Amino acid sequence: MVLKRSFASYLRLVAVFARFSLTREMAFRGNFVMKVLLELVWLGILLVFYRTLFRGVDSIAGWDSASFLFFLGCYYTLEGVVETLFLENFVEFSDLVRTGNLDLHLLKPIDEQFLLSIRLIDWSTVPKLFIGSGMMGVAVFQMGHPVSGWTLALFLGLFVAGVSMAYSFLLILSSTAIWMVRNQSLMELWWLFSTLMRYPRDIYDVAWAWPVRLVFTFVLPALLVVSVPAEVVGKAVLDPWWICWMLVSAIISLSGSRRIFMGSIASYRSASS
Amino acid sequence: MSAKIGSPAMDSSLSIGLVKSLTKYFNIFKVSLVERLAYRADFLLGTFLRLLPLVTTLLLWKAVYANKDEISGYTYRQVVAYLLLVHVSRMFSSMPGLASGIARDVRDGNLKRYLVQPLDLISYLLAYRMAHKVAYIITSIPLYSVIFFLFRDFFDAPADPWWFCLYATALLMSFILGFAFEASLGMLGFWFLEISSFLYLVNTVNFFVSGHFLPLDLLDPWVAGILKVLPMQFMAYFPAALIMGKAGDWNDVVRGLGIEAAWCLGFFAMARGAYALGLRRYGGYGG
Repeated sequence: MVLKRSFASYLRLVAVFARFSLTREMAFRGNFVMKVLLELVWLGILLVFYRTLFRGVDSIAGWDSASFLFFLGCYYTLEGVVETLFLENFVEFSDLVRTGNLDLHLLKPIDEQFLLSIRLIDWSTVPKLFIGSGMMGVAVFQMGHPVSGWTLALFLGLFVAGVSMAYSFLLILSSTAIWMVRNQSLMELWWLFSTLMRYPRDIYDVAWAWPVRLVFTFVLPALLVVSVPAEVVGKAVLDPWWICWMLVSAIISLSGSRRIFMGSIASYRSASS
Repeated sequence: MSAKIGSPAMDSSLSIGLVKSLTKYFNIFKVSLVERLAYRADFLLGTFLRLLPLVTTLLLWKAVYANKDEISGYTYRQVVAYLLLVHVSRMFSSMPGLASGIARDVRDGNLKRYLVQPLDLISYLLAYRMAHKVAYIITSIPLYSVIFFLFRDFFDAPADPWWFCLYATALLMSFILGFAFEASLGMLGFWFLEISSFLYLVNTVNFFVSGHFLPLDLLDPWVAGILKVLPMQFMAYFPAALIMGKAGDWNDVVRGLGIEAAWCLGFFAMARGAYALGLRRYGGYGG
């Protein structure tokens, strides 16, 4: 049974989940430090790669050094949000299905999607949010032109749309765990999805890559997730068509993924009985 | 009855022992190969998924070279050739799950099955991994043949076919080095309870410093200089650079292979030494 609860009580629950997750992380401090260190190593690799790319050229697919840094910062922050709030939950979801422990969560008087999406919060990836935002700040400073309040608001709106699309993709992938029971390649598929987000979509402007660009713009719009928000600030491009398509895609992704998730829950047969 | 060393009886019993031992490890190889080939569809899907990041990387480099013919001595064709060849290097040198498997066996106590049976852990794992590699390479050949055929214009064949022998030697040694390196890391399990996060960190660093990500020559010269001293470069960069003619002349390459062989021996000795030391600390209880 799902009880209707107020928005405030859901927020309070998020705070409780966050506190519980932090307590759990602090029980294994060494592991926590290692995870943070790993994120910093990834950042180091990303920055060395960026520096190497711009050692020989002034711009890549219309992105100069500063705007490309903004893109990378945006990507790093978005990845941080998804990893902090959702990724661990979805990775554990297939385990819950396989072991039958999903029953316990379905019995709780709360929306199933909410509970299963945000139950575990990964504190080790929180530094990514600050570092990514810092990279975007440095890039804006390097670009040398101020960002207006409207542009910032639009960027934030599109960033939230990007997070929603990434979340929906993960939700759909996890839902398939109910039908396939074992879904070990979730992390690999997420890696694939984030690979498509990692570079500006302008690099797909090559004759042989057009099918890839079409599929990942209109069918599974992974190419828009970071590119469209980053273009608004990094390249000062305000294309109403793309902005509208991004927002529409986010809404379709969210509602579509919820329908798929609910459908999969409806066909769940407990493994314990 | 006893046989003196050097006597015909001793020689024949030694050779029988050797044949038996080789047969044992050959059988492990055979069983592991059959086990691996049972999951060939999974293999193909995994390989296909791993190719998509390659497509995005190629597109990125195409954009980088849009207004430039050469960067740090590499043309666009050469960077693409390198990134494809580095997949071949990693096909030989990557050992997913080897170190964590050893550490898990130590922690869970499963290590004792190697102690109570006439089976040497490192030799067993080597035979097992050889089988996995053979299976992996066989199932990957069709896909990679298509890719290399599509990109055939990006490769320049070396003038002297003997370079292929050097390349094959470098690849085989990269398998041995990858195995010995991972096995040495796995032995840390004797001293630390949980090493999975550390292994993940090492693998991430290795991904970059081995040259899997990009040709080491494109980095700042001082960074490239440091990375070319480390053994990790032999697991990805060196074989690819060798066949592209980027690792120097014949003498440089032979010297490089000598250094690679020394690293192989060094890591094997380290794995063996750590295993012997670790067994002194190890206690396996229960049935």
